[in-house]
Amino acid sequence: MACRRLAGAIGILLAMGWMQTAAGASGVSSKAIRLEISPRLCTLAARDKQCDVVVHASWSAPREESLCLVLLGRPQIKRCWEDYASGRYTLRLEFAQDLTFQLRDPSLRNVLASEVLRVLREALQYRHRRRQPWNIFD
Amino acid sequence: MNTRTLSVLLMAAIGLLLVPGARAADDGAQTMRVLASEGEGQSTEAAASDKDAQGTNPAAEAAGDGKRDRDSCNAPSKDCVAVGHWNFSISIGAGVRTDPIVHEAAIPLVVIPHFSYYGKRIFIEDLDFGFTLLESDASTLSLIATPGYDRVFFDRSDPQNIFVSGLSYTTVDAPQLKSVPGGPRDWTYLAGPEWTFETHGITGQLDLLHEVTTRNHGNEVRAALGIPLIESKGALSANVGLTWKSSAIVRYYYGVPGAYEGGWALNPFVKLGYARPLSGKWRLTAFVHYEHLGNAIADSPIVNARYVLTVFAGATYAF
Repeated sequence: MACRRLAGAIGILLAMGWMQTAAGASGVSSKAIRLEISPRLCTLAARDKQCDVVVHASWSAPREESLCLVLLGRPQIKRCWEDYASGRYTLRLEFAQDLTFQLRDPSLRNVLASEVLRVLREALQYRHRRRQPWNIFD
Repeated sequence: MNTRTLSVLLMAAIGLLLVPGARAADDGAQTMRVLASEGEGQSTEAAASDKDAQGTNPAAEAAGDGKRDRDSCNAPSKDCVAVGHWNFSISIGAGVRTDPIVHEAAIPLVVIPHFSYYGKRIFIEDLDFGFTLLESDASTLSLIATPGYDRVFFDRSDPQNIFVSGLSYTTVDAPQLKSVPGGPRDWTYLAGPEWTFETHGITGQLDLLHEVTTRNHGNEVRAALGIPLIESKGALSANVGLTWKSSAIVRYYYGVPGAYEGGWALNPFVKLGYARPLSGKWRLTAFVHYEHLGNAIADSPIVNARYVLTVFAGATYAF
């Protein structure tokens, strides 16, 4: 019985060691990597169809990292840093729906930090505009 | 209107009805665009790997993933409008509208204002007023009041010449056609039910109107279809329709006491329009509108043309 417990404990320790090694192999630790975006909210008024804002994204880490900033669902937007402890990225965006910013490792597989820029619409009621194909200027 | 002309227009209308199947599938509207970007890295060692950085092209665009539901109104769009808000726009450009009345010059189109207001039930579109009785995604039934159309050819101070023909027309120092026999041709309003609908991208409108300002007690039917032909960055559309005017209305505007009375008239029309968003709140607008005058109107001695042609190209700014 004691032998079984000892073997189990050794197994757990070995597994933990393997996991630590695997995380180290990726070269990036997600601990304490901070991502901030500004603004975090875009409010659309009645007449606004979409947000048009300059977004500042910044990140910081306790040690130098190699990582990439991406927008979820927009693979063509990517900014990467190699061996940096912090970074900033500014871009002007037009968008109508929430945007998710993510920091990922260089392979883009692991998410290290994430922030969402939310779109808030003014609570309005809408109705159909009059259809008037008879009107010369419709 | 002769039978041959009517048959040609009907064939054109049928042909246009068959075209929507060829419309470009472009429902996936862009929902995000990167206009400009700049990046910065702070480090004590190696420079940032800019070779991997993408999305820094100011013109880079992202394909949207939001397919708009065309059958529901939950956001402002071409078809949907916020309740309780006024909407103003102005079209500036160059155009002309022929005037079929004798001795009358063509009407220039330069500045054309528009305004509208939509409440939960009521609406105002320029000089039209309405009360919506029933509304669904596909069709709407309203009671409307709308000005008599024909007066625009007789009186340049008619309010419709501001909203239909533009400010330039009202500022032209021209005679008020006092030499045209008959009249007076006063300002009139027509009222009645209006049914509008949309199916497979085609919009339809049917108005059954009666003159309610007790000038002529006439009736009028307005019917039209709006058919999208091409929808991509720009939208090309065709409208076909007709206006039926009772003999009372034809007599009131085009009759000459003791010389000509006239009966009912049927005016078919066809319009080809193009609109394209420009930067900001501007959009490009252009159209050609041809209306064939019914025989009872065209045969009047005060009319010297069998059609009204309107052409306009310009830009519209929505405030």
